[in-house]
Amino acid sequence: METQELVTIVPWTFIAQILNLFIQMYLIKRFLFKPVNDILEKRQALTDKEIKDARTAKEDADKIREEYEGHMNGAKAEAARIISDAKKDAQFTADKMIKDAETEAHDIKVRAEADIEQEKKKAVNEAKDEISSLALDIAGKVVEKEINEADHRKLIDDFISKVGEAS
Amino acid sequence: MNVEINGARIFARIPTGIPVLGDFTINETLVVSWIVMAVITLLCIFLTRNMRVENITKRQAIAEMLVETANNFVRNNTGTRKFDKLIPFVAALFTTSVISNLISLTGLRSPTADLSTEAAWAIVVFIMITMEKIKAGGILGYMKGFTEPIAVMTPFNILSELATPVSMACRHFGNILSGIVINGLIYASLAVASSAILIHINATLAHIPILDVGIPAILSVYFDWFTGVMQAFIFSMLTIMYIANASEG
Repeated sequence: METQELVTIVPWTFIAQILNLFIQMYLIKRFLFKPVNDILEKRQALTDKEIKDARTAKEDADKIREEYEGHMNGAKAEAARIISDAKKDAQFTADKMIKDAETEAHDIKVRAEADIEQEKKKAVNEAKDEISSLALDIAGKVVEKEINEADHRKLIDDFISKVGEAS
Repeated sequence: MNVEINGARIFARIPTGIPVLGDFTINETLVVSWIVMAVITLLCIFLTRNMRVENITKRQAIAEMLVETANNFVRNNTGTRKFDKLIPFVAALFTTSVISNLISLTGLRSPTADLSTEAAWAIVVFIMITMEKIKAGGILGYMKGFTEPIAVMTPFNILSELATPVSMACRHFGNILSGIVINGLIYASLAVASSAILIHINATLAHIPILDVGIPAILSVYFDWFTGVMQAFIFSMLTIMYIANASEG
């Protein structure tokens, strides 16, 4: 069979091989690169979407957590306020009670002292009345009879002993 | 014993009557090229069948790996994503080259054992380099580039510019051809050696080249497998490097 030379450039083969190279390029592009790149793009899109979804979910969760924490802090503050109010109320009440008690005790004491003073006055007055009536009696007796030295002495002693009894 | 190493066989000759181009010949180079193209295309179709986004098959993993490898090869060697349009071209160049080189293992004649093939590829690459240079520096900048560093250098610069495709084509062709020549010599010499041994046993047995079984396979690891893949790699690598350099002006 006819053969071409070992080292030669055959013009038609040369042209055909240029065309073959470009045809091969198209075929590889069409049957390997295009489908694979399509799949890779789809996968990329899917991954991007999943990442985006995950990020959104995380943001939502963060928001909910923040809200919850806000609520918790509010509740804590409320509780603290209630407790401090109650403490204040209790302190106030206690103080008031102590003060009332003190006032009352003072009043009672004052009243008792006043009563004592009055009783004393009353007793002194009674004593005075007695003394004056005795004095009137004595004066009457003196007027009734002649007084001597002995009678005089006796009268004074009587009087003093009567005063001692009365007091 | 004579050893004959021939060029590609010519199966048919179609006269065209065009003076310079001559007759169109259907030769071994073209026929095997078509076989190579069919193999690559069928492989691509096979690999990308039933592709899914999730739960991928091994076949799809291989297809994706090939695409990723091609992408990385071009992007890493140019350092940018500017040349992404070239990826299918470089992939076609590399794949065609590898399969053409390795198809000699099946007994067919490599299309790359014909200088026409490499010359065709090198010219395409050369035109791409030149276009890239003109795009980067304008037609005047491209012309001016030849007179640098001094005007006297112009002929040498033109020579070195033309040397690029010639060296690319000849490097690839030379490696493949040398493989064929050495393989031919080894087969012939082993046949002579085996007949020299077997003649002592029986005259008819001497015609069986017993040593040709197995021994050339060891040598083909280097001459077919290593050289075949290496040359395809070098050709694609140079293509990418030259085009990337050209765009830098």
